[in-house]
Amino acid sequence: MTSLALTRESIARVRPGPAVAAVLIALFLLLFLVVPVVQVIFVAFQDKTTGAFTLINFADFFRNDLFMRSFWNSFYVSAMSVVVASALALPLAYLTTRFEFRGAVLIQSLGIIPLIMPPFIGAVAMQLLFGRNGTVNLLLRDHFGISIPFMEGLNGVIFVQSIHYFPFILINLSASLKNIDRAMEESAQNLGCHGFRLFRRIVFPLAMPGYVAGASLVFIKVFDDLGTPLLLNVNDMLAPQAYLRISSIGIADPMGYVISVVLIVCSLLALWVSALAMKGKDYATVQRGGGGLARRRMKPLELVAAYAVVLLILVLVLAPHIGLTLLSFATIWSFSPFPDAFTMKHYGTVFLESGQYITNTLLYASLAALLDVVIGTAIAYLVLRSKLPGRQWLDYIAMAALAVPGVVLGIGYLRSFYDVPMPFTGQPLSGFWLILVFALAIRRLPYALRACTAALQQVSNSLEEAAENLGATKLRTISRVVVPLMSGGILAGFVTSFATAAVELSATIMLVHSQSDAPLAYGLYVYMQSAAGRGPGAALGVFAVVIVGLGTYLSHVIIERGRRERGQDH
Amino acid sequence: MSRTLHGVAAALAVLLASSTAAFAQDPSGKLVVVTSFPKDLTSAFQQAFQKAYPKVTLEVLNRNTNAGVKYLQETASNNGTDLFWASAPDAFEVLKGANLLQAYKPKVEGIPEKVGAYPINDPEGMYAGFAASGYGIMWNSRYMKANELPAPKEWSDLAKPVYYDHVAISAPSRSGTTHLTIETILQGEGWEKGWRTNKEIAGNYRTITERSFGVPDGVNSGSFGIGIVIDFFALSSQASGFPVEFVYPTVTTIVPANIGIVKNAPNKAAAETFVDFILSPQGQEVLLQPAIRRLPVNPATYAKAPADYPNPFKDTSLGSQVNFDVEVSQARYNVVDALFDQLITFQLDGLKAATRAIHQADAALAKKPNDKGKALLAEARDLVAVMPVTAQEAADPQLAGAFTVERKSATDAVPERQAQVEQKWAAFAKDNYAAARKKAEEALALAR
Amino acid sequence: MNHQFSPTSLAAGMESVGVRIDGVDLSYGSHRVLKDIHLDIKPGEFFAFLGPSGCGKTTLLRLIAGFNTAQRGAVTIGGRDISGLPAHKRDVGMVFQSYALWPHMTVRRNVAFGLEERRVPRAEIERRVDAALDLVGLKHLADRRPSQLSGGQQQRVALARTIVIEPKVLLLDEPLSNLDAKLRVQMRQELLSLQRKLGLTTIFVTHDQEEANTICDRIAVMEDGIVQQVGTPQELYDHPANLFVAGFLGTANVLEGQVRAVDGGTVFVMGGGVAIPLPRGVEPGAEGKLMFRPQNLFIRQDGGEPRDGHVRLVGVVRHREFLGASIRYAVDIGGQQVQVDAPHQAGDALLPTDTPITLDLAADKARFLRR
Repeated sequence: MTSLALTRESIARVRPGPAVAAVLIALFLLLFLVVPVVQVIFVAFQDKTTGAFTLINFADFFRNDLFMRSFWNSFYVSAMSVVVASALALPLAYLTTRFEFRGAVLIQSLGIIPLIMPPFIGAVAMQLLFGRNGTVNLLLRDHFGISIPFMEGLNGVIFVQSIHYFPFILINLSASLKNIDRAMEESAQNLGCHGFRLFRRIVFPLAMPGYVAGASLVFIKVFDDLGTPLLLNVNDMLAPQAYLRISSIGIADPMGYVISVVLIVCSLLALWVSALAMKGKDYATVQRGGGGLARRRMKPLELVAAYAVVLLILVLVLAPHIGLTLLSFATIWSFSPFPDAFTMKHYGTVFLESGQYITNTLLYASLAALLDVVIGTAIAYLVLRSKLPGRQWLDYIAMAALAVPGVVLGIGYLRSFYDVPMPFTGQPLSGFWLILVFALAIRRLPYALRACTAALQQVSNSLEEAAENLGATKLRTISRVVVPLMSGGILAGFVTSFATAAVELSATIMLVHSQSDAPLAYGLYVYMQSAAGRGPGAALGVFAVVIVGLGTYLSHVIIERGRRERGQDH
Repeated sequence: MSRTLHGVAAALAVLLASSTAAFAQDPSGKLVVVTSFPKDLTSAFQQAFQKAYPKVTLEVLNRNTNAGVKYLQETASNNGTDLFWASAPDAFEVLKGANLLQAYKPKVEGIPEKVGAYPINDPEGMYAGFAASGYGIMWNSRYMKANELPAPKEWSDLAKPVYYDHVAISAPSRSGTTHLTIETILQGEGWEKGWRTNKEIAGNYRTITERSFGVPDGVNSGSFGIGIVIDFFALSSQASGFPVEFVYPTVTTIVPANIGIVKNAPNKAAAETFVDFILSPQGQEVLLQPAIRRLPVNPATYAKAPADYPNPFKDTSLGSQVNFDVEVSQARYNVVDALFDQLITFQLDGLKAATRAIHQADAALAKKPNDKGKALLAEARDLVAVMPVTAQEAADPQLAGAFTVERKSATDAVPERQAQVEQKWAAFAKDNYAAARKKAEEALALAR
Repeated sequence: MNHQFSPTSLAAGMESVGVRIDGVDLSYGSHRVLKDIHLDIKPGEFFAFLGPSGCGKTTLLRLIAGFNTAQRGAVTIGGRDISGLPAHKRDVGMVFQSYALWPHMTVRRNVAFGLEERRVPRAEIERRVDAALDLVGLKHLADRRPSQLSGGQQQRVALARTIVIEPKVLLLDEPLSNLDAKLRVQMRQELLSLQRKLGLTTIFVTHDQEEANTICDRIAVMEDGIVQQVGTPQELYDHPANLFVAGFLGTANVLEGQVRAVDGGTVFVMGGGVAIPLPRGVEPGAEGKLMFRPQNLFIRQDGGEPRDGHVRLVGVVRHREFLGASIRYAVDIGGQQVQVDAPHQAGDALLPTDTPITLDLAADKARFLRR
């Protein structure tokens, strides 16, 4: 009798369903994340001559002036990008959460617009507008005899990156601000605090978790980003050094891989430091009352100032898009503030060819995003609701993808899957387009996972228990109660994954094996390699922005409609 | 149900029969080409080729030259590429050395042995030249006018103080074509003098781009005024309407751009057809298109070219000054790249500071001559020019060994690790540039 | 709890002031939340706003704190009109229902916050924070974070944080609602003793009449944005101004009937002909109801005559609740239900349902309420 009870109990403790799901996910992560990355970083620890384990390569790294300079440059650029991105995001977040401001919709769209443009295309456009002989500086020099070094050296990287990545801070910070109990602010006012002091001492610290999450993400993305510094010809940063090393200098020179390891370690460090900064500060109380901060109406002068700030930021944020659009209609644009003349012919050129790119992009990005939300939901559920031993590790490993630069993943895939022939055709597995989808899915999994986890955290356990109590099986409960309630978060995760996967280049460029399988970002890159191709390339870029923008907007509409139908109006 | 199945089987049989029949007469199937050429060139050839051979599906894979070589090496174990198609002969030498190409003798007649001083085809037939290109100087005329700069003619012109911060080049380690430019100057002027010229020009660099196209792109948009580029970049930009001009300096090499069949090519028959096609009159004419503008290797094609089209088979001054030695180039390929990166690319700030000081001292001394100052200035110039390795050392396989990892057995000795060598050179350059700047500043002080 | 009250540090310089609310009107859109409120709260008084949720009591409190703005009327503290002052300049201390302790600061920093905002010298801040924490008995937890404290401890920190700035008035917004029943009883006594020690004019918002009755000097009962009645707990219980107040404070029996004139006065006549004499001042034919408490009825199963001033009622037991010290019977008298409390001694038998029963009502305790 006792033995029977025991078996039953142990069965109940480890259900087969979650265990199977966990094993499948673990296998996926192992195969498409851990193995390829280990393949790459392995070389960093190999002696060049004997193949034995060594740390001498790391000693070389730290003894080398160029690498150390690159390291500090990367650090400086990342830190400054966080500063500039914060300067862009803070006023916007502050305005939307503290005031009754009609421009709020505008600001919300500001939060997504930069993300749907491939950053390397943005860099081209920014160079045309803000470069030494770009529109702004030519005009300034003509009228005032001055020029501003927006794009000189590291400045250019900081400028382009902070405009591209500031939405990460804006989105996270706004969400955090909205969750603050109004009483937190009122009690401070009651004790004599107001205005900016109130924001600095109470409101901002309470929004710290969101800010730190966004800022660390910006730091990591900038630290790892390859395309922007390369396009701006800034080579003495870590990611470009790794890429240059791996893709050209001495085929098996270990330094490229050493730099990859350094990149991964730094990203993990940044994540760890941000976790540490939040440790011991339990912000659970923040959400007790909820309801957001009190908003007040602005005085006329304040309103003017607010619109001026928003418009300035809007212009900055839209600058890459404006530049790209101008370029796509330009005949010749050379050493002049604006193009010599305008034409539609570039659109005609790309119209016929872009179909394949667009179909591929939509296919890859939506498959990758779908994979992300399925795995993200599963991991979130396993971590939060199951009692499987070691379940936390699924989360850790999936999140670690954030710290793996796209180039490293691309090279890892080539190394891991090239010698594996596909069934029937015998072609290398790494040439199969689905591999590209897996790479994109792995790269964007962290975004979707966080969105799904947050969504599941808001679904009370008792709702699930109620369903089970009424006789639903676990699987039915998940599909009929949990997933529908999570759908807002799941779709948000889908949108982020989709939009960012659609413009990804760094992993893509390593893995595209034939033109017919190439996505938009690759097509853009190819077009941008010739004098005659810049116009059509820009036109293709405009297509890319419009399509990804539309996709994002549509999913957003679907989310909102779904939410309204279920009466979760908030 | 079974009738449908029968139908499908019959259709399949017909399809199979027809495709095997076609294979017997005409090449067909997928042809995979790895290339560093821009879309304008590849898609023009693609269209022309597909028109002539509709049964072949041409798959073009765009990689820069070095990445393309790397790609072929990494994928050699399970090769899926038929052709490698790129400019730099050196890249083909690397592939040939690694035994990754297979010989083919094109069937096309009438192509000469040499263009300029350079042999068009690989003597062993591993790769064939299909278009010639020369290296030169390109500039944006609006930029030059706005900055009141004179048009340059020779490499040495670019070293003049007036061009300070106006010139751009792509890193030779990233661009096969730039590597050839640098190597041409080294072979034309000799190792020591050649590097001196290279570094004096480099002192005027505004930027060193990561991609070959970064240079014409910057000149076209006016980000910088002058670029050191391969001719077709300039010619095609001009043809696209950009306000740019181009000149071949006396010391230049007309070098063929090449195509080679990859070893174990999956579709060898189609690959051979493609090679013959691009050498045929039909293929050679594609090179004259405004967006491409390369020099055909078939002299007959020039009859159809515009009047001012450069013709290396007629204009003997083009590219005949330097007898380009592929073997010398090959022996020190990696060393030259690494030297350029360590002495110039990654020390550009120090080099520019020294150059600026030298220019200022030079100008001051011209107004107020001073022998001691002149001596100091000469010392400063020598400090900039001095090289950490001699021509002999650069060609030494021992040194080159640091840059390749042909580790045939665990006991093979590699004298130094690449990172170590590089650090040594970088420190050498950094110290010398700082010292040169100090000397030049002293000279300037004397001229005040 | 070990209260070390040090009058020099906290109460010094604190002078009790009164609060006046004059004709305050407040609407959200077309919804009038406060309707012509007049209140006069005396210096040092422990005053309650009592009412069901939605009655406007919290809105009124937030109005005093400066988080709401009235469309009309004025709030004066110590004779000074503060209606135009922003919240941070009002010097009224408020303890929030959720306590609103800042999770990113330690207990000490939370308590020091208000003093720092007032640019009090560092040394004095530390001294006053220590004194305030001492007062609520939490000095040993000064370096903890709020999340490491129990609900009761958080409540005390919130209190210390508010009183340390020596506010003119202390506002408490349902401060006990997040505590469990036992702690609530303990905390309300502590609140009272603290208020008495400091002599601080205090306004307490609650929906719990027991809480208000036990600790407040006076209560304003509110309903639907209107102050229904102001008075001491006893006044409100014994002499409710209307049916709402009667029902909200304690249990009320309410009977329907007509007011008729009889010899020497007026009576309230119920169905079945029972007449209950009414005090002077109620004119015949007046619209209204008769209210009395369950303890004003006495069960008379002995068959004797009603005592002097009592009126006899006859009914049937419908239902009963055993409360321990007493038994509450629901009795049907002539179609109307009343509740009767019968004292209970161990071993007493309970009346079964459907038992016919005789009741005596102490007529002078019954009140005629017009609305």
